[in-house]
Amino acid sequence: MVAEHVERADDPKAALAAIRVVGADAFAPYLLADAVFHPQDAAAVTQSFALFPPPVTTPDPPPAGAAEPWLVAWRDWAMATLLARLTDAEPGGALAPRPTGAPVLTEADQPQGGGDTDGQDPGADAPDDSGRTDTDWQRWSVRMGQLSPLALPGLEGPVHTAARAAPLALARGATRAVLRRDFPTAARITRWLALLAAEGTRVPLDPVPLLEHLRLHGGGPRLALDVAIARRLLALETA
Amino acid sequence: MTASVTRTAHQVSARALTWLHTHRELGALPADTTADLGDPDSVYKPLGESALAASLVLRESAAGGTELRLARELMDFCWRQFGDGDMLYERLLRYSMMTDPLETYAPFARCGIRHEPLERLLAHTSALRSVRGAEVLPNRRLAVANAARVAGLDRGAHAYDWSALARATWLGATPEPWLIDWMTGYCVTHTVFHLTDWGGHPAGLPDDLTAYVATWLPVWIDIWAEIEQWDLVAELMIVGCCLPEPYCAPADWERLARVQHADGLVPRDGDPVADDPGRRFEDHQHTAVVAAIAGTLAVSRTLGGAAEQR
Repeated sequence: MVAEHVERADDPKAALAAIRVVGADAFAPYLLADAVFHPQDAAAVTQSFALFPPPVTTPDPPPAGAAEPWLVAWRDWAMATLLARLTDAEPGGALAPRPTGAPVLTEADQPQGGGDTDGQDPGADAPDDSGRTDTDWQRWSVRMGQLSPLALPGLEGPVHTAARAAPLALARGATRAVLRRDFPTAARITRWLALLAAEGTRVPLDPVPLLEHLRLHGGGPRLALDVAIARRLLALETA
Repeated sequence: MTASVTRTAHQVSARALTWLHTHRELGALPADTTADLGDPDSVYKPLGESALAASLVLRESAAGGTELRLARELMDFCWRQFGDGDMLYERLLRYSMMTDPLETYAPFARCGIRHEPLERLLAHTSALRSVRGAEVLPNRRLAVANAARVAGLDRGAHAYDWSALARATWLGATPEPWLIDWMTGYCVTHTVFHLTDWGGHPAGLPDDLTAYVATWLPVWIDIWAEIEQWDLVAELMIVGCCLPEPYCAPADWERLARVQHADGLVPRDGDPVADDPGRRFEDHQHTAVVAAIAGTLAVSRTLGGAAEQR
């Protein structure tokens, strides 16, 4: 499927870039449905890493480092890790290094974001002029949404630990995004809720009607992909 | 954190109460008003709301001496406007199905300002199946039940079925929190106000609804603050004060203090505020009432007082 996409493209370089934009979700048909992963697919993904190599060193997590390169590094890691898994590559042979840290949540009524949150600055929750902090549930949930390609079976790390530690903040973030009519963000955050629910964690919000609402109200290919993956995670669609 | 909420909430409510007191004559009934009230929402209803705010300041007794005096004077002003209760009596005498005489009377009854003929008439009217069966929104039915409770009419054979009343509301269905709209937001706030008698009886909110509100309240405050719906935001902040474990976020209080004008006016939303004094009072009187109540309850709850000990 991935190789076919590159072969058919008028501009193979753009097609290889597109694979990286979709990221780990390009593997969803193999992980969540019955698509067969061929050696040519692996070759196409490997080629995309060769053409657009991720940085050798991983950026510092925010607030010490900028958020965007760190988010990209996590998404690269997710893709590289799943490629290694699907090709039975040697452990440690992944094409992108694992970043450190997870989005930090510091809310009075929330437990801290799990044990595996290395490299955090204790000053991260200093309030700004509006009394908001960079680590409140509002911003934390948006950042988790930006990491939605990590919400796939077969991936494990501090971001997953952070998600499991804060189903309430995820549910609030998804609800807030729907009410703000930011349906793409809502779909991304709801993927984490779907993953947690699929693992048997009690979540404060039923993701099933929410996903249907997003599917019917939202638009765009990214939202459609996030909703489709979340529905697969919840086994609402099979085959 | 708690100390900062107490201080900010006191400041907001003291200023809002002062503003209501200073401009009270702008909310006086026209001289030719009769109990028929062609437009009950114009002046009559706001007077009742000012009396409600004052009655809660007095009930909580968490304000300073100045504020308690202003609250008493505001109560007296409103009561005089209602002809020392005669107007409410005449209105109920003429319109037996109307619930506003009872609802308007409740804050006065709460403070021991009574009108005996009205009470006799209320006891008779409010017990009638015809009145109880009137078709009204579920949260409005709760408003009547709570007014009856405050006036001492919720007892014996005429006690209200609070659980059934709660279940009939939107909140009672513990609905998807992501579909709430502005009007439904007001339905939620009023359901909580009346079930808990404005934070005086936090246990009046059933446990599952308490958990539901505690889960989603921060989201609703966040989204309506973003679009500067200050009146609804302040009502939701009252809701936070009505919970068994009050939710009073320092950032919410600092934000409300920032939008309050120097003279105590609290704008109902982000639109420009008129210069004309009459227009200012008309547009923003409700939000001042809400802010005065929210601040009063936040001070009281953060100090651990007033709401019944359970």
